Amino acid sequence: MPQWFIRGLRRGVVTTRYPARPDPSASTLPGPPAFRPRALTRAVADTLARVCPSRAIARDRGTLVFDAGACTACGRCRDAEPSAVIWSREFELAATDRPSLVKRIQLRGEESQ
Amino acid sequence: MSPGGQEQAAAEDLRHAVRRQFGRSLHIRTLDTGSCAACEQEIRMLAAPHYDLQRLGFFFTPAPRHADLLLVTGPMLRAFAAAAGKTYDAMPGPKLVVATGACALGGVYQPDAFSYGSVGEVLPVDVWIPGCPPSPLALLQGLLVAVGRLAGKVSALSFTVGGEP
Repeated sequence: MPQWFIRGLRRGVVTTRYPARPDPSASTLPGPPAFRPRALTRAVADTLARVCPSRAIARDRGTLVFDAGACTACGRCRDAEPSAVIWSREFELAATDRPSLVKRIQLRGEESQ
Repeated sequence: MSPGGQEQAAAEDLRHAVRRQFGRSLHIRTLDTGSCAACEQEIRMLAAPHYDLQRLGFFFTPAPRHADLLLVTGPMLRAFAAAAGKTYDAMPGPKLVVATGACALGGVYQPDAFSYGSVGEVLPVDVWIPGCPPSPLALLQGLLVAVGRLAGKVSALSFTVGGEP
């Protein structure tokens, strides 16, 4: 019997069980950032908007506008403001309407509008 | 019910019926409208043993006439828009369009003399899959959302941690 067949039997199934079960590699995938509203001041938001190369982050008065659809998961926002931005580890981001990918996050010390 | 509400409800019913039909057998045609081919690499990985697209009843087809779903990558170059329209027209109805990657979602390129900047400017997009490139798992989730086998969860995400300021 060919050796590859024996080897395959011994190693078992390699196919992911997603979507029935979570995939173990999902947490290692590059993904969009998540923000800490406590650390998001106006200055921090402006810095994030400046370093974002794909215009996924912008500031609209007292809110940070994050477009998850435009995010390229480059990590420059995390490098620029590590206290305000972490890695969300989200990958299930498919949306049936484009506006649902745009998130508005209230900045610290700004009254809600 | 608002004027046109009945028609909208009927359209929504029809959409669900179509997605049920596609749930177990879906043929996918990929369309590159000027992408850097990173998305294509990830799409190609869907057929590899780890992701094994065929186990879910999804298949790639080289002909738009055999396709139920158009998987579009790239920022939709103006030079390609006519070809994209013809590809869409050649597909038999009912059909779905999935925009894949940050370029196709309008994130990377602004509309200019060379590109529309977003696939949605030319084709009626049903599902948007973010990512640069989207990982095969993200593509898998997007395809399952497109056929109604998974519910999209991004509208419930806030992309914040640690509560309100």
